[in-house]
Amino acid sequence: MPHEAWSRRAVLGAMAASSLVGPDAWALGAASQVDIAELAIPGASIHRAAAWQRLLFELIQTTSVEANPETVQIAPEDPNLFAHPFTVLIGRDALPPMSDDGVEQLRRYVSYGGFLFFDDASGSRDGPFAQSVRALCRQLFPTRPMTPLPGDHSLYRAFFLLERPVGRVAVSEVLEGVTRGPVTPIVYCPNDLSGALHRGEDGRDRFPVVPNGELQRREAVKLGVNLVMYSLTSNYKHDQAHVLELMRDGKLE
Amino acid sequence: MIDWLLAGARWGEGDLVWTTDPLLVGGAALVALVAWAVALLGGWRAVRSPPLRLLESALWAVALGALVVGIAGPEIVEEDGREELGKLVVLVDGSGSMGVSDGASVRSTAAMEVLETLRGAQDPMDVYTFDETVRAGAPERFEGRGTDLGAALDVIADRHLGQELRGVVVLSDGLDRGPLRREVAAAAEQGTLSASAVPVLPGPVTFIQTGEAEALFDVSVEHVTSGGFAFLRTAVALQAEVRGPPGRAVPVTLSRDGRTVREETVTLDADGRADVEFTVIPRQVGRFAWEVSVPVEVGDAVPGNNVYPVVVRVVRERTRVLQVSGSPSYDQKFLRLFLKEDPSVDLVSFFILRTREDFRSGWQQNEMSLIEFPYQRLFTEDLSTFDLVILQNFNYRPYFSYGRDDLLLNIADYVRAGGALVMTGGDRSFDLGEYARTPISEVLPVELGVTGVKTDESPFRPKLTASGAVHPLTRLGATADETESIWQRLPAMDGTNLSLGLTPGSAALLEHPGLVTDSGPLPILAVREVAEGRTMALAVDASWRWSFSEAAEGRGNQAYLRFWKNALRWLVADPDYRRVVVFPSRENVLLGDEMRLTVRVRDAGYGPVEGAEVVGSIESPDGVRTPIALTTDAAGEGIFAYRPEMRGAHRVSVGTGNRAADRGSTVFAVSNRDPELADIQPDTTFLRQLAALYGERGRFVAPGAELDLLVDESARRSVPDRRVVSLAGAPFLALLFGGLGGLAWVIRRRNGGV
Repeated sequence: MPHEAWSRRAVLGAMAASSLVGPDAWALGAASQVDIAELAIPGASIHRAAAWQRLLFELIQTTSVEANPETVQIAPEDPNLFAHPFTVLIGRDALPPMSDDGVEQLRRYVSYGGFLFFDDASGSRDGPFAQSVRALCRQLFPTRPMTPLPGDHSLYRAFFLLERPVGRVAVSEVLEGVTRGPVTPIVYCPNDLSGALHRGEDGRDRFPVVPNGELQRREAVKLGVNLVMYSLTSNYKHDQAHVLELMRDGKLE
Repeated sequence: MIDWLLAGARWGEGDLVWTTDPLLVGGAALVALVAWAVALLGGWRAVRSPPLRLLESALWAVALGALVVGIAGPEIVEEDGREELGKLVVLVDGSGSMGVSDGASVRSTAAMEVLETLRGAQDPMDVYTFDETVRAGAPERFEGRGTDLGAALDVIADRHLGQELRGVVVLSDGLDRGPLRREVAAAAEQGTLSASAVPVLPGPVTFIQTGEAEALFDVSVEHVTSGGFAFLRTAVALQAEVRGPPGRAVPVTLSRDGRTVREETVTLDADGRADVEFTVIPRQVGRFAWEVSVPVEVGDAVPGNNVYPVVVRVVRERTRVLQVSGSPSYDQKFLRLFLKEDPSVDLVSFFILRTREDFRSGWQQNEMSLIEFPYQRLFTEDLSTFDLVILQNFNYRPYFSYGRDDLLLNIADYVRAGGALVMTGGDRSFDLGEYARTPISEVLPVELGVTGVKTDESPFRPKLTASGAVHPLTRLGATADETESIWQRLPAMDGTNLSLGLTPGSAALLEHPGLVTDSGPLPILAVREVAEGRTMALAVDASWRWSFSEAAEGRGNQAYLRFWKNALRWLVADPDYRRVVVFPSRENVLLGDEMRLTVRVRDAGYGPVEGAEVVGSIESPDGVRTPIALTTDAAGEGIFAYRPEMRGAHRVSVGTGNRAADRGSTVFAVSNRDPELADIQPDTTFLRQLAALYGERGRFVAPGAELDLLVDESARRSVPDRRVVSLAGAPFLALLFGGLGGLAWVIRRRNGGV
C-alpha cells in the first residue's frame, strides 16, 4: 500500500504556520477541529498524509478555520468514520467491491453531513478508478449519478475564485460530484490534487506538476482550500448577499 | 220538522263530506258487523218465527249502519261569497336606516306618523313590515339588517293574487339593499328601464319617502380594508373610506390600544367621499386591533359609524435567522445545514473566513472570493428584521471597528424588544470573545467575567437538569423517560466554555457533570427571558456530534434536529406555540353575532392537556369583564361562546395559572357596521323611478308633501261565505239507531228470545 510519510521539515513548518494565528486560535478540544481522514481500502487506496497536512497548514495560515493537521486512515466500515466529517479516497486503479456494511455506512455518512472527496491519481480521464468511483456512487445513491459541477458551483468560489480545478495534471476542466438538494457531498477530481500537494520526507514536492509547473501547483493549493471550505460552508457563497457583493466588486459576472 | 231531523242542513244544497279517518270508519264498521253477528247468533234459536228472525236481523243491520254513518262524521258544506271594498296595504320599512335622524326628525317617527294618519282614514287596511323579510303588523323596532323592497312587493302581489287592492302604500327612505335598486339603477344608466323591472301589483301604489337628504348630516368611516392578516415586519396598508358632506375637511385618526398612531386630514370630494391610507409595520406576532375614526360632531346622524375597528392577524411568514460565525467549523456547518433545509427558516449567514492574522499568507485579494462583513448594517438597520441572531463562536472585537459599544447595545435592546439571541461556545465566545461587562452580558443567561483559564477541554457528557427534564427545548423524546435516555446516550462534548454560573432569572437545562461554579453546577445549556425577548447560551462547540454520532449508530439525526427545532420554536416565542393559546372564530365580528373563543392548552412538551381548568375574561371597551371558565377536552381544547354587546376592540385573557407561560390572550373587533348604516342618504331617485315604472298606477310623495295617496275606490274583493253542518249528531241518525235497535230488541223478547 503506497504511503508517503509526514516529514520533519513539514512539522517544523506547520508549527511556524500555526503560531501565526495566535494562542487563542484553538477550538475547545482538538476533536472539534477540522481534520482530514483518508479512506483505507486495502490494495486500492493510496495514502498521502503529507499532502493533506500541507493543505491543513495552508488552511490555518490562509483562513480562519481551526484545523488539526493530523491525518488518520480509516476503513469504510469503521464507526469512527463519523468523527471525521471530511474524508478523502485517493486511487489510481479500480476499487474492489465494497462490503455491504461499508456501502451502508458511507451512505449514512454522506446523507447526514459527511463530505467525501475522490482524488484520481492516475492522471487520466475516465480511467479504471473513475469508473469504479462512478459505480460506487451509483451504489450509494442510485438516483443521483455523478455529474460535472457547473461553472457557478459554490466550490469554485468557496474561498478562492477558481478558474480551473487543476492538480498534478490538468486533464479535465471540471470536477464531478453527486449533488443532493442544495449541497454536493461527494466530489471527484480527475486531476490528482493530492499529487500536486504531496511532499516527500525531505520537504520537497514529491511530483512535478504538468503542464504549467509551479503556477499550476499554486492553483491546486487553492482548489484544496476551497474543497475544505466548501465542505464546511456548502452553498454559503451562493447566498444572495455574497453574490450581489461579488458582482458589485466585479469578481462575478 | 225535516230541518230539525237534519240538524239545520238544507236538503239538496251543499256538498256532503266525510270528516273521520277512513281507517277509523273501517274499524267501526268491522266492530258493528261483529256485534251484529254476535247479537243474532246469541238469540237466533230462541226466536221461533223465521220471518221475525229475518226482520230482527234487518233492523239490527240498519241500526248499526246508522251508528257507523254517524261515526264517519258526515258534514254538509255550503259555500257562497260576497264582494266588499278592496283593501289598502301599507308596507313600512323596518330596516336600521329608518332609525337615522335627518336633522330634527327621525325617519321611523315620520313613518309611524303617516301610518297613524292612514289608520284613521283608510279602512280596510293591512299593515306589513319589511326589511330583509316581510311580516304582518307595524314595526316594533327599526333594526332590520337589510332592505329588500323587491321581495316585499313580490310577497304582496302573491298574497293578493286574483284580488283587487284599493292601493299599496310604501313608507321607506328608498335605501333598498336587495337587487331591485341595483337593477333599476343599472337599467336607468343603460336606458333600458321598463315596467318589467317591477312586480305587477293588484292595485295602484304610492311611494312615500321618509327622510330628507338635504337635512342629513353624517360623517362616517365607511369601510376599512386590511386584508385581515399581515406579515411580521412587513408594511401593511389600512385603507379607509370616509363619507360626509362634500367639500368638508375631516381629520381621520388611526389608533391602536387607545393610542393615536397616526392622523391625517382629508377633504371630501363632490360625492362626499375620500380615501385615506395608513401604512403600519407590525413588530409583533399576534392579533392586534386598530381603529380608524373621525370626530363626532353635534347633529351627526349616526355617531356609531364614526369609528371602524379592525383586527389584523400578524403572522410570521418565515423565521428569519442571522447566523454569524467567527470561524468555519463543523458546528457551524451542521447548524447551517439544519437551518438551510428547514423551509420555515429564512437564513442569512455570515462566516468570518479570514482574520487579520491570515493576511500574511501571500495571497492576493483579487484571488479570493471574499466580501466585507457588513456588521454595521446588520446590527443597526437590519437587526430588527431578524427573529433570531446566532453568535456562533464569534468575537466581535476585531470586526466592530466603529461604534462597537452602540452595536452591542443595539443587540441587547433588540433582545429586550422581543428578539432572540443564541451564543454558542468556542475559542471566540463568551469570555474568550470578551463579552464580559458589555451590554450583551446583561442579557445572557450565564454570568461572564471568568478570569484565568476560560475553557475546560476535558471531554464530558452534559447532564439534564430538573428544569431540562420538563422544558420544551430539551424534550427530545415523546416521554420524560425517553428524553432522559436520549440525553444519556448522546456523545460526549469536546470541552466547554466556563462561566460564573447562571444570571438571575435564568434556567440551566443542561449542566456539567463535574465542574461547579459558586452558584451550582456549571451551566452548559441555559435559557433566559429578558423583557420581551429570549436568550440561550450553549457553552459547547460540538453539538454537531449529536447529529453525526447518532447517524453512525443508525439512529438518524433526529436528536440534533429536534433540539434545534425546539430551540427555534422556544426562542422566537411564537404566540401559536405558547402553551396556552386562545383564538376567536372571527377577528372582526358584527354586534350581536355569536362568536366562539377556542382555548388550547398544551403541556411543556406541547402535548394536549385534557381536563385543564381554564379561567379568564373578555374585557369590552368600557372595561366590563365577562368571566370565562371552561375545561379542556381530550384534544386539549375548550370552546367559549360569546355574543358581544358593545362595539369596539375586545381583549381576551385566559390561563391555567398565573405564570406568563400559563396564560394566553387575543383580541377581536366588534362592529355595528352592518350595510344598513353604511349608506344612509335617502334615495329619492329610486323611489321616483319606481313610481314612474308603474305609470298611472304609481305615485311618489316627497317628505313633507301632502299625503295624496293613489287609490282605486272601485277595487273590490271577494269575501268567501262558508257554512258547515255536521250530520253526526243529527236526530235522524239517532232515531234510526235507537228506534230500529229498540224495535229489534222488542221483537226478540216477544218471541221467546233473550
